[in-house]
Amino acid sequence: MEKEEIVSRLTPVFRKVFADSTLVITDQLSALDVEKWDSLSHMLLIAEVENEFTIKFKLKDLNKMANVGDMIAIIESKL
Amino acid sequence: MNEYLIRKAEPEDIPFLADVVIASEKGMSDRLSFTTLFNKPEAEARELIIQMFEEEVDGCELSLSSFIVTEFEGKPISGSGAWIEGFNGNMPSGILKSNLISYTFGKESIAYLKTKSHIVKDLQIDREPMTLQLEYFHIKDEHLGKGLDAALMDRIEQNALAEYPALKKVQCQIFKNSVFSIKILLRHGFKIVKSYRSDNGDIFDYLPYNEKLLMEKVLKIN
Repeated sequence: MEKEEIVSRLTPVFRKVFADSTLVITDQLSALDVEKWDSLSHMLLIAEVENEFTIKFKLKDLNKMANVGDMIAIIESKL
Repeated sequence: MNEYLIRKAEPEDIPFLADVVIASEKGMSDRLSFTTLFNKPEAEARELIIQMFEEEVDGCELSLSSFIVTEFEGKPISGSGAWIEGFNGNMPSGILKSNLISYTFGKESIAYLKTKSHIVKDLQIDREPMTLQLEYFHIKDEHLGKGLDAALMDRIEQNALAEYPALKKVQCQIFKNSVFSIKILLRHGFKIVKSYRSDNGDIFDYLPYNEKLLMEKVLKIN
């Protein structure tokens, strides 16, 4: 799957979890940049992303995800 | 105090630390968020807490490396967790903890959390980077009143200062009904700096109380 397609599928997931219909995701975007990205919403985000791409992250994958770019790279590696 | 040995937690302490987490989380109530928010019975939640400790992820409240224990006659009788938020480039501890829970508890529990998260969201408190975060502090009842709490607090601060000499603050998030723990913290120089309250009527079904305090102690730099 191309990165562009991953981004196009991730965007509505992020918008839904953080209840922000204008949220634009970039490689650099992280929990520090989104006010509603806290520990609770992070768990919901992970679950929604796994559902969207029918994947299961390993713990070491999750702990390497410092930003959306890292998340996209890990998703790419699993598809 | 000579009969007590305070030391860093070791892997064989993990089942005891799970009990420390459960006792500390419940505070003065019978509500444990690992059961109420994730729809798990307590025995299963305890096993999952053990699994999370066994992953040995550093930098959060479920990190083995965050804990010290006290031994009395060869057995652990207290456990206390503390870590420096974001130290060594670690991710925010809330994210690390969420990763552990997401990985360990499974999709059904997270789906259940999704239906309850609105109830507890007002009591989510960000942790300040590069401050010492104190979380989970439990001493078995029969060892209370012997000065152990002060010795533990001193040891936690000394350990953190040895790791990061520029450390300026210790913070603790605590439910307002944890009156005995609040007394210990006040006695040890902490002050209440902020209060967070939820007006959601269902909150008492899920958390020990509807108000959380942020307590803080400014360290003297010698």
